[in-house]
Amino acid sequence: MLVFVTRRLLVALSVALTVSIVSFLLLHFSGDLATSIAGPDATAEQVEKIRVEFGLDQPIVEQYFHWLVSAVQLNFGRSYYFQDTVISLIRERLPITLTLGGLALGLAILVAIPLGVIAAIKQNTWIDRLALSFAVIGQAMPSFWFGLTLIIVFAVNLHWLPAGGNSSWQHFVLPAICLGYYAMPAMMRLTRTGMLEVLNSDYIRTARSKGLNESTVVLKHALRNAVIPVVALAAVELGFMLGGSVIVESVFSLRGLGQLAWDAISRNDYPVVQAVVLIIAVFYIALTFFADVLNALLDPRLRVR
Amino acid sequence: MSNLTLTANSVMTSLPAVPEWRRIMHRFFGHRGLMIGSVILAVIILAALFAPWLAPHDPYVQNVSQRMIPPIWHDKGTWNHILGTDKLGRDYLSRLLYGARISLMIGISAAVISGLIGTTLGVLAGYFGGRVDAVISYIITTRLALPVVLVALAMASLIGGSLQTVIVLLGLLLWDRFAVVARSTTQQLRDAEFIASAKVLGASTSYILIRELLPNILSALIVVMTLEMAHAILLEAALSFLGIGVQPPSPSWGLMVAEGKSYMFFQPWVIAIPGVALMVLVLAINLVGDGLRDMNAPEGRS
Amino acid sequence: MKKLALFKSLSRFSLLSSVFICSLVVLPTTALANKADNTLVYASDTEPENVSPYHNNAREGVILSHLAWDTLIYRDPKTGKYEGDLATSWKWQDSTHLLLNLRKGVTFQNGDPFTADDVVFTFDYMNSPQAKAVTAQNINWIDHVKKINDYTVVLVLKKPFPAALEYLSGPTPIYPEKYYKKVGLKGYSKAPIGTGPYKITAVLSGQGVNLERNDHYFTGGPIKKPAIKYIKFRVIPDPDARIAQLLTGSVDWIWRVPSDQADKMKNMPNIQVKSAETMRIAYLAMDTTSASLKDSPFRKKLVREAVNYAIDRKAFADQLVRGGSRPLYTPCFPSQFGCDVSAAKKYPYNPAKAKALLAKAGYPNGFTTDFYAYRERGLAEAMLGYLRAIGIKAKLHFMTYAALRTAQRAGHVPIAFQTWGSYSVNDISASTSVYFEGGADDLDKDPKVISLLKKGDATVDPAMRKKDYSAAIKRITDEAYWAPMFTYSSNYAFDRDLNFTPYPDELPRFYLSTWK
Repeated sequence: MLVFVTRRLLVALSVALTVSIVSFLLLHFSGDLATSIAGPDATAEQVEKIRVEFGLDQPIVEQYFHWLVSAVQLNFGRSYYFQDTVISLIRERLPITLTLGGLALGLAILVAIPLGVIAAIKQNTWIDRLALSFAVIGQAMPSFWFGLTLIIVFAVNLHWLPAGGNSSWQHFVLPAICLGYYAMPAMMRLTRTGMLEVLNSDYIRTARSKGLNESTVVLKHALRNAVIPVVALAAVELGFMLGGSVIVESVFSLRGLGQLAWDAISRNDYPVVQAVVLIIAVFYIALTFFADVLNALLDPRLRVR
Repeated sequence: MSNLTLTANSVMTSLPAVPEWRRIMHRFFGHRGLMIGSVILAVIILAALFAPWLAPHDPYVQNVSQRMIPPIWHDKGTWNHILGTDKLGRDYLSRLLYGARISLMIGISAAVISGLIGTTLGVLAGYFGGRVDAVISYIITTRLALPVVLVALAMASLIGGSLQTVIVLLGLLLWDRFAVVARSTTQQLRDAEFIASAKVLGASTSYILIRELLPNILSALIVVMTLEMAHAILLEAALSFLGIGVQPPSPSWGLMVAEGKSYMFFQPWVIAIPGVALMVLVLAINLVGDGLRDMNAPEGRS
Repeated sequence: MKKLALFKSLSRFSLLSSVFICSLVVLPTTALANKADNTLVYASDTEPENVSPYHNNAREGVILSHLAWDTLIYRDPKTGKYEGDLATSWKWQDSTHLLLNLRKGVTFQNGDPFTADDVVFTFDYMNSPQAKAVTAQNINWIDHVKKINDYTVVLVLKKPFPAALEYLSGPTPIYPEKYYKKVGLKGYSKAPIGTGPYKITAVLSGQGVNLERNDHYFTGGPIKKPAIKYIKFRVIPDPDARIAQLLTGSVDWIWRVPSDQADKMKNMPNIQVKSAETMRIAYLAMDTTSASLKDSPFRKKLVREAVNYAIDRKAFADQLVRGGSRPLYTPCFPSQFGCDVSAAKKYPYNPAKAKALLAKAGYPNGFTTDFYAYRERGLAEAMLGYLRAIGIKAKLHFMTYAALRTAQRAGHVPIAFQTWGSYSVNDISASTSVYFEGGADDLDKDPKVISLLKKGDATVDPAMRKKDYSAAIKRITDEAYWAPMFTYSSNYAFDRDLNFTPYPDELPRFYLSTWK
């Protein structure tokens, strides 16, 4: 097991490193940085001064290592647009996105697992079909459009919830539903197939034949086994949600990491963009690593590969 | 699981042609989701293909004295503009029909590009194994770690949004599932008898990969293709919605939602129509994909 | 039997989750609590790049400037008369020397007394290059300030500047010398201090600004102590999010509401809507000089004329903008001093002629171009439609104002949909001169126009000034450097319980607002 974890950890670290190279290169696609930092009125002399000052005259490999060393120390430089360091911007915004992601995930799990279990027990009945249609629609709905619909119905017409902003916990409800509905279908389907598989397994048949209460069988034995892969999937989904929150955050004017990235993108504020991309990627890597280890812990066969 | 797929594949290939075809037809018509999905998809494809003949108006011609006419089911609707007009007085139905072209074009092109990239990587990794597999798996893992939406947004804003940009970007970003599926299915077939016999007969590697292996993993790839088409269509809509995808005045459905957004509180049909269109298209593609997967599944539909 | 039990426990599980979901969904209706808190929340789209009024040129910055700072002179928005603000009286000693007596007993919000040193510092420092002021044109007519005693100063002008009082009552707030020198621009932009009726308590990057009533505000001036205790400025870039937040009550005041939406909001019980024409003008700016746009079709006069003929100004004013908007033919707002409408060459809507002109210019099949815009996407799209109708296929680049200005100054913008509010200064030197006198934003650098405007800006005799400006307007419109399009009206939508009066200078005066 230790070997497995170490090996996975090494892979995760090197992937993180590769991602850092990619997100660094993203910055250098944007053209001459010195000119854009110096601003439109700068003379050629001032631009050269800034080039030296920011180390932009160095070879790109050297610049990368310089950036990497700072990034590891959580120093991502200063934002061009916001009057602040990148890391303090991220510190301010990350909790909002994590709250949103956590809430959305919680909501998705709370809906997906019961629905998946019921669908599996009631396989091929109208309940099953309804649950599946619910999932299929969730997968097909554009999240920005779903978000707008939620705003129209629950904020503007019913006045139940605020339309945007992030000053109270109520502000997170609609965005979490919007983001959570997107993650729900995959988890529901996985629960359903997992349950079907387990319910038809010899082990459950034995439990049943022992005369155990059906609800005990389903909840204690079947569900426990079916839920394991769902938990692993949930970790990965959380990673996806952090990256995908940019759309939901912009629809709901939620000032999280996604909105920060979007603001930075539309203002060519590349230190912020690459820092956000890197951080979200590292989160994803950490979460998948966690999911891998979890899976391996629960299913020894996986450790071999 | 892997053995099951393998036997299913060999069963399918060894069956005589005509009953096989019939069996597929039987399964097709027996699968309700697949039926519904295919019919909707066919209708949308036909509508897109024949948009110039079907559209009652030029989708680009604006007429500011004919703005915001509601669709026919409203009291003030007119038959001249069945789905109404937008804020510049352009016919909504015509824009919707032309918009279908954009969504389908992006969905298909992006899926084809990513399919080529992903399948090539996946087949190479699965067939050769060892170091090749290690390197390619590493590339796949790295790609998965990059947040697609963010990277697509950043790149589109750097390059400048356009139909071509979106296609290329999504094509370059969405190949991961192709690679994963191609890799695992190839691994399952690598040691199959028909591959071994082709090797014995002295066939070249490229012949084996393209002529022997590819046809046998194609059905799995087609399922991925539908998923990625749906994915690409939704991403294009999101990019255009944010203003850095397809640019106006193109009638992209995502853009139509963005343009109608300021009217959504008072005339919600403006965003409801393109939104529902997007949803129906993606739904249809997903139903087809699910159906195809069920048809490929060893025990028929589940 | 077994199944029943199973269903019970399952339903217990799903009951739990549904209780959780319902508790999230069924919430008390969001109430309009702002009035009860004596807090006015106003929202707009742009965040000033820096709250220091000399370091941004956003309209939102001007609003803040008039809330937290004072100017030497006050212009009554109703009568247009000049009154004393930080200065109590003034006198022209000659055409380049303006003597001002300053108000005594005024303190800055940190307790420092206001004296002549602050006036000297503000203008002299902001005119120096190290101040990095972005609104240089608002003060660079001042050569320097002479301190006579603690409460008397003389403004020494570079040359006669007839619009001086207009500027001194507008974009020229007075800064505290001691505090500014202590904290520098960086500190000042985070915690600015002025003398104004409100003091800024927090500058929240990306979010907005919080203000609180300045209870030590001086009495006897033109501005009385305000009624509303707290003001919050919120940046909400998305126009629909602003509307949504007004409709749900989390924001009390929004502006620039498109007429279509304003019309619908008029029927809503808790919202009131007011419209007013503004000084803001909309135009298409075409770059004719930048080296990087050497091959731009807009370098050809025929093409620029074609663009002018292609736009249906009346349709924009009457159908799209509405609420008092008028077609515009001049590179200035018609009520501004010197803005001679009769001198301008008028281009009526004539797409056929536009097409012919394009053909004559060598583009019988039109051409493709990049098109930049920063506000009112819908209007920008309508412009694209008109250009498309004559064969110009324009690709829209929609960006923030700051980004557009940067790109334009760098010479990357062949044509842009822009607007200009003249800082609410009712004089042509605040509009035409800004864009055609050879400054950073002059895309045409026509020497004839430059010299005419320079002459007009420096002449005192109104008749002589008018003559120069008319000639400049004639030249600009003959050359079709711009395609002036329409004047703006602004629709204000706000809480039914708020008393608010809009003025044509597009400067909301929240210090005059009260709750009903």
